[in-house]
Amino acid sequence: MARRKKSDRKKRPIAVTVIAAAIVALFLIRLYQVFEPLIRQQVFQNGIAVPLFDGWRLTDLGRALFSSVAYLVLSVAGIVVLIGFLRLRRWSWVLLMSWTGISLAITLVNYFYAQHLLGSQPNYAVMASNVIIAFALNMTEVQRIFGIRRDENVPGI
Amino acid sequence: MYRASDRPTAPATASDLELLRRFEPAAYFTKGEPFFPADVEHYVQDCSLWEHYPDGREELLVKQGELTLEKLVEPHPAAFGTVRFLRFIENLSLTESAQVLADQARLRARLRNYFHAGIGRLARGGFLPRLVDGLFSLSFLLRGRVSAATAAAAELDYYEMFKEEPKYVYYGRVARQNGWTVLQYWFFYCFNNWRSGFHGVNDHESDWEMVAIYLYEDGGQLIPEWVAYASHDFKGDDLRRRWDDNGQLEKNEEYHPVIYTGAGSHASYFRPGEYQAEFNLPLPSWLSGLVRTWNKFWTETLGQPAGNPFRIPFVDFARGDGLRIGPGGPQAWSPVLIDESTPWVSQYRGLWGLFARDPISGENAPAGPMYNRDGSPRSSWYDPLGFAGLDKVPPPPQALELLRSNCDKVVHRQEELEQRISEKAGELQSLGIEMKGMEGNPHLAKQHAALGKTLSALADEVKGLRRERSENTALLQGLTQQLERLNAGEQDDPRAHIRHLAEPDKPTQAFRFDRAAETWAAISLSLLLFAIAVLIFLAPHYVWAGLTIIFLLFLVAESILRGAFVQTIARITLILAMVAALILFFHFWKWIIVAALLTTGAFLMFQRLRELTG
Repeated sequence: MARRKKSDRKKRPIAVTVIAAAIVALFLIRLYQVFEPLIRQQVFQNGIAVPLFDGWRLTDLGRALFSSVAYLVLSVAGIVVLIGFLRLRRWSWVLLMSWTGISLAITLVNYFYAQHLLGSQPNYAVMASNVIIAFALNMTEVQRIFGIRRDENVPGI
Repeated sequence: MYRASDRPTAPATASDLELLRRFEPAAYFTKGEPFFPADVEHYVQDCSLWEHYPDGREELLVKQGELTLEKLVEPHPAAFGTVRFLRFIENLSLTESAQVLADQARLRARLRNYFHAGIGRLARGGFLPRLVDGLFSLSFLLRGRVSAATAAAAELDYYEMFKEEPKYVYYGRVARQNGWTVLQYWFFYCFNNWRSGFHGVNDHESDWEMVAIYLYEDGGQLIPEWVAYASHDFKGDDLRRRWDDNGQLEKNEEYHPVIYTGAGSHASYFRPGEYQAEFNLPLPSWLSGLVRTWNKFWTETLGQPAGNPFRIPFVDFARGDGLRIGPGGPQAWSPVLIDESTPWVSQYRGLWGLFARDPISGENAPAGPMYNRDGSPRSSWYDPLGFAGLDKVPPPPQALELLRSNCDKVVHRQEELEQRISEKAGELQSLGIEMKGMEGNPHLAKQHAALGKTLSALADEVKGLRRERSENTALLQGLTQQLERLNAGEQDDPRAHIRHLAEPDKPTQAFRFDRAAETWAAISLSLLLFAIAVLIFLAPHYVWAGLTIIFLLFLVAESILRGAFVQTIARITLILAMVAALILFFHFWKWIIVAALLTTGAFLMFQRLRELTG
């Protein structure tokens, strides 16, 4: 009789599932951010009817297209990270933590300088998702399963 | 039986000086060290004697060249708050300062006595401690300090002194306490140039350092058991090593412990290497409390590695690649016996060098072997056993006797307990039966209640006695095992008493990019200041956001060089997440509380319903 092969798959902690859910939520928010400016500029009805640049400056349509492309790139990156994350890859943890840090920094700058710098309201949904991801990624069991924490001394900063 | 046949010995009848010579240590210095253990008599002759009064005035009591050890101890009444001090180097003019600095460079070149730091302390500490270190360096502008020219002049003067009378001196003291014979070796240095010469914490005129050897008597012979070296950051038990701990205690010709002396600081180490001596900034109590609370939250709640940015790492170089003094080396000691009857030891309570008016004392000279800077008695002098945590440790032969006596006491107490438990348990049963007999008789209610109280007290007593018997059984087991080990000649782990072991750094393994890390460490703080200046000039409206971003970028650059990118990113993100969480709570606290209540309610309902449905 053939012996049953023991599974060597690492057990996925619940926090990983929570993070994956948060990434999906963020993906959906980003997807909304891809389409919202295009809808606002009626790109789907009229196509690209006006120039994107006015000299060296972006026109309203140019800005909308630029932000949509940027959010599209972020959405795709989010999916790549999600796949890596569900497969428990170390690089995905590092990438996600770095991305969460950058995203939090941008959100906080947006919050403190919303009126002056960006002229927009801070996105609390993104902020909340990022907070959940950051705390979940910091959990010892999550760090261990991704090979981040090996309980050895690391140099301080 | 306790055996120490492999140990060197000295006859118990030997004189104090013979004992000191028999076990005198060998001191290994770091290349580049300019000051070595010196003779106080010659030093004092080169000093002037001063008094600093509470109103800030300073008065010269004895001029340079006229001072002797006899004059030093002459009584001189003074008001409370007066500080008496010696001055080795007089005030230098700008021209004289330039001259001595040039002469110092020439002397070092002639003697080829250079020091190379290697990967400096800046690169070994993180960015945050370095930032605090920058502020610490700036604090010297406000605090009293010893100038670099003073250090240079001291180096030149000491060199001349040594040429006149070339000898290396230790001041030996023999104390006998609680069955131990303590050999103390005191070393006097004309100057501590740790800061100016070796990137350390402080400079001060004069320096007193001490090591001690603890001997016990067995069969008319004195046998060494422990050796303790005074060192930064360590105290009590952590200072001493057992004589047979060969991994920690190096010995020359079996009898002579080797001291690796810190360059400039003259702290003593058991093993060669470069040690991180950490200097804790003297913070106000409210700030220390805040830092402690934050550290607790950071490590225990968030599970992050501990760190304290207010602790500045300084490297103490104890390489042992320089001059070697003492047995087994090319230079011999000149011992001088001291005790409480030596006038300059007991009667001079002042400082042995310049009083630099440094409020945190780091740059003020120390007092002599017997006193602290404030004139109070020095604990290592009056309590040499407590200094190394040995006040609770009996000498080995007495340990065996004490252990036996303790065992006997416990056995005796156990017998006593057995008898009492048997008596009291019988009494308890008898009362129980009596009480049972009262039940069902309403007219005996009062007696029943009184008996109930007595019975309860007796039951407690019996319980206590049984607990004591049980604890004593475990204690007796431990004591008996220890006794058997001692009888068999076995000894405990020689490092069992050490809580914090001083370990030298392994600098070559610390960084991925040594040279880049070192360069970055040297320039990063200045770069940060330049970046802030540019930010204020170009974008004054966004200073806080700009400062945060610049600071984060510097931290990330630092972490890449230190091979700690992942940990740094994690820490930064965590801090940002905490700020964001506070903002979210500030704006949506009602929603958060409602959500928490709903979730808890749903969870509890789920639990109860599951219990109900089985």
